[in-house]
Amino acid sequence: MSDHHAIHAETYQMEAARWQAGRNTLAFVALASILACLAGYFLDAPRFFHSYLVAFAFTTFIGIGAFFFVMVQFLTGSAWSVTMRRIMENIMITIPVGLILFIPIVLGIKEIYPWTNPEVVAASESLRAKSAYLSENFFILRGVIYFALWSLWAVAIYRQSTKQDTEKSIQQMHVASRWSAPGLFLAVVVGSLASFDWLMSLMPTWYSTIFGLVTLAGGSLSFFSIVTLVCLGFRRAGILKDAITDEHYHDLGKWLFALTAFYTYVAFSQYMLIWYANIPEETEWYRHRMEGGWFAISIAMPFLRFLIPFFVLLCRAAKRSKTIIALIAVWSLVVEYIDLYWVVMPTYYKDGPQFHWLDLATLAATVSICGLVFWSRFQKHKMVPVGDLRLEQSLHFENA
Amino acid sequence: MSEAVRQHPALMEVNPPLIRAKDYHDLTEQISEITEGDVFKTPLKYWITLAITGSITVLLGGMLTFLVWNGIGVWGNNRPVGWAWDITNFVFWIGIGHAGTLISAILFLFRQKWRTSINRSAEAMTLFAVMCAGIFPLFHTGRPWRAYWLFPIPNTDLNIWQNFRSPLIWDVFAVSTYFTVSLLFWFTGLVPDLATLRDRAVTRTKQVVFGLLSLGWRGSARHWRNYEMSYLILAAISTPLVLSVHSIVSFDFATSVIPGWHTTIFPPYFVAGAIFSGFACVMTLLIIARWALNLNNIITMKHLENMNKIILVTGSVVGYAYATEFFIAWYSGNTYERYAFLNRALGPYWWAYWTMVTCNVISPQFFWFKKLRTSIPVMFVLSITTNIGMWFERFVIIVTSLHRDFLPSSWGYFKPTWVDICTFIGTIGLFLTLFLLFARFLPMIAISEVKGVLSYEKGAFKDQEVVAK
Repeated sequence: MSDHHAIHAETYQMEAARWQAGRNTLAFVALASILACLAGYFLDAPRFFHSYLVAFAFTTFIGIGAFFFVMVQFLTGSAWSVTMRRIMENIMITIPVGLILFIPIVLGIKEIYPWTNPEVVAASESLRAKSAYLSENFFILRGVIYFALWSLWAVAIYRQSTKQDTEKSIQQMHVASRWSAPGLFLAVVVGSLASFDWLMSLMPTWYSTIFGLVTLAGGSLSFFSIVTLVCLGFRRAGILKDAITDEHYHDLGKWLFALTAFYTYVAFSQYMLIWYANIPEETEWYRHRMEGGWFAISIAMPFLRFLIPFFVLLCRAAKRSKTIIALIAVWSLVVEYIDLYWVVMPTYYKDGPQFHWLDLATLAATVSICGLVFWSRFQKHKMVPVGDLRLEQSLHFENA
Repeated sequence: MSEAVRQHPALMEVNPPLIRAKDYHDLTEQISEITEGDVFKTPLKYWITLAITGSITVLLGGMLTFLVWNGIGVWGNNRPVGWAWDITNFVFWIGIGHAGTLISAILFLFRQKWRTSINRSAEAMTLFAVMCAGIFPLFHTGRPWRAYWLFPIPNTDLNIWQNFRSPLIWDVFAVSTYFTVSLLFWFTGLVPDLATLRDRAVTRTKQVVFGLLSLGWRGSARHWRNYEMSYLILAAISTPLVLSVHSIVSFDFATSVIPGWHTTIFPPYFVAGAIFSGFACVMTLLIIARWALNLNNIITMKHLENMNKIILVTGSVVGYAYATEFFIAWYSGNTYERYAFLNRALGPYWWAYWTMVTCNVISPQFFWFKKLRTSIPVMFVLSITTNIGMWFERFVIIVTSLHRDFLPSSWGYFKPTWVDICTFIGTIGLFLTLFLLFARFLPMIAISEVKGVLSYEKGAFKDQEVVAK
C-alpha cells in the first residue's frame, strides 16, 4: 500500500495557475455582487437589509458547523476524515470574516429588528420585561463578542493544524484537542445565543428553547454539503483524486443522511410541541408561516427537508454514488436557504415571499467573500494536513 | 491498518492498544471461566451480595403486593402532585438503559472499537433497567392485570379505544419497541459467544441449554456474514431508538402547558440526560466488576477514560439545557415561566434543585483533568453522584412544576411515603440481582468482538502485551 502512495508522490499543493483562476473568478463575483448590493442599498435600503440577513445567517452558520465538526475530529481522533480536514478547516477559517459581514447588520439594525422600535416595545409588557437584553448597543456588543471568541478559537486551532504540516509531531494534535474541548461550548452555547439574537428575536415576543439547535443543525448539514461539493469539484479537476476516495464519499453521504435526520428531529420537536400545547404566544410564529404564500413553503418543508433526501440517501448504493450525493448536497443547500428565508422574511412580508434580485446579490456577496478567504488558504497551505499522523490511515481507509 | 502502525512507530501513540492478552485462546479462557465451573463453588462474596440484593427484590415484591392490595393511595401522590416518585423512577430507569443502546448502536456506527469491551454488560443493563422502569407505570395504573388495555387489541366486548393523541400511549409503544429491539440486539451479539460456551461445556445440561440458545451457530463464513449484516441492521434500527424513546418520554411533560414542563428543548435534553446517567451507571458497575473479576486487561483505563469523556460531554449538554431553559424563561417575559424557574431554584424544593445542579453540572467538570478522569476512586464517586443527580433532575422537573398550581389555593408540598421509598429501593435490588445473575452465567464481555480488537494490535505489540500481562 505504501508503494502505491510513493509512486504518486503527491505534494498536496495546489498549482499556482489553477489557484489564480479560482481566485479571479471568486474575486470577480465578489466585486460584482458587492457593487450590486451597494446599488440595492441606495435603491431600496430596507429590502437590502432584509435579504442580507438571510445571506449573513446562511454563511455564518456554515462556518459554525465547520468549527464544530473540525473540533469534534480533533477530540475523537477521527482518522477517516483526515484527507478532507484541511478543506473543512478552510471553511472554519472564514469565521473571522463574520466581523466584517456583521457590519451591515449593525447598520441596518433598525430596519431588521422590530424591537428597536420604542413604540413596539412600549406596547408590549413582555418586550418591556426584556428590553435590557434586546437593546441595540448590547445586541451589537454581543455580536462582536461572539465573533471575537469564535475567531480566537478557530485561528488557534487552524494554526496548530498548519504547523503540523511542517513539524509532523503529535504535539500539535494534543494542543488542538485542548483548544477543541472548551471550543465545543463556544460552538453550541454561543451559537445558540447567536441564533436567538439574530433570528429568533425577529419576532421578539416569541421564544423556543430548541431554536439554537435547529439553526445549528441546519448550518451543519450545509457545511457537510459544501464539503461534499468542494471534494467532488476538486475531483472533477483531478485534484486529490487518490486522497479522497469512494470510501470517503460514502462517509460524507452518511453524514448528509444523519444530519438530515437530526435536523428533522429537532425541527419536528419544536413544531410538534408548540402545536400540541397550543399556547398563543408560541403558535404565533407558526401562524404567520401558515398565511398567504408562506403556507406553500410550510407544507413543502417536510418533503424538502426530510422525506425526499432521507429516502434518496437511505440505501448504501445511493450514499456511494457521487452523482446522488452531489445532487443531495446541492438540494440541502438550496433548502437551507429557503428555510432561513422562511424564518426571516415573514417578519416583513406577511402575505408571502416576495423574491427580489437583492436576495441573490446578497447571497452571492457573502458566499463569495467567504469563498475568497477559503480559497486564499489553498495557496498558503497544503490541501491536506500532510503532517497528521493519521494521514496514512485515512488514505487507506475502507468502510467495513 | 496494523501494517501502517508497524511502519510508523509514532502511530503507536495515536492508536494505543485497546486490550491486552496473550492470544485469542487466552481471552476466551479468561472470559468463559467466569461463567463456568461448579455453581456451588462460586466465591462466597458473590452469594452474600446476591442474598442482599435478592432480599431487596423480595422487598419490591412485598411493596407491590401491598400497593395492589391497598390501592395507589399508599404512595404520596396527591393533588396537585399527581405524578411523583413513580414517574421519577420510571424516567430514571429508562434513562439508565440508554448507555447500552448508545454503546451498541451509535458507537458501532461511529466505528469506536473500544466499545467492544463494555457493550455486552451495558446492553444487559439496558434490558434490566427497562424492566425496572416498566414496573412503575404498570402499577400506577392501579390494576396492572388490565395493562393489556393499553395496547390497541381488537376488541368488541370491552369497547376500549386507546387515545392515540396521548403521549402516554406513545410511551407504551416506544418502551415496548425499545425493549424488544434491545433484547434482539443483545441476543444477536450473544449467539457466537453462546456457541463458544456450548463448545466448552462439560455437562450435558449446559451443552443442551447453550446448544439451544446458540441457534446452531457453527462459525462458518456464511454465518459470520449474516451475523455482521444483521448486527449492522440492528444498529441502524437502534440508533433512532436512542433518540426516540427518551424524546417520547419527554413528550409526556412537554406537550402539556405547565410552566417547567412545556419547553421545546425537552426531547434532546432528555436524551442527553439519559445517556449521561446511563454511562454513570455502567461506570459504577463496571468498576466493581473489573475489580471483582480481575478484568483490568480487557476493561482498561482507556475505556474508563473514554466513558468519562462521554459523561463530561453529556453532563455539559444537560448543563446547557438547564441554562437555556432558565434564560428563555426569563427572556419569554412570561410571569408564570419566570416564576416556575425561580421557584425551582429558591422555592420549597431548592434543596432538590441545588443537589441536581451540583451533581449533574458541577461534578462532571472534574473530568476536564486527565488526572481525575483516570483515577478510579474519583470516577467511582462521580459516577454515583451523577446517578443521584439525574434522579433528582427528574424529581425536580416533575414535582416542582406540579406543586405550584395556577391557583394558589391548590398549592401543595409532596412528601414520599415509606412505600414510595421502599419500592424504589426494591427496583435497585431487582436491577442488581439481575446483573449479578447475568455476570455469573453469561459472558459479560463480547468474546468474539474483543478478539477483533486484539487482532488489530496482534504482532505489533506482542512484547508489550506479554509484559503487561
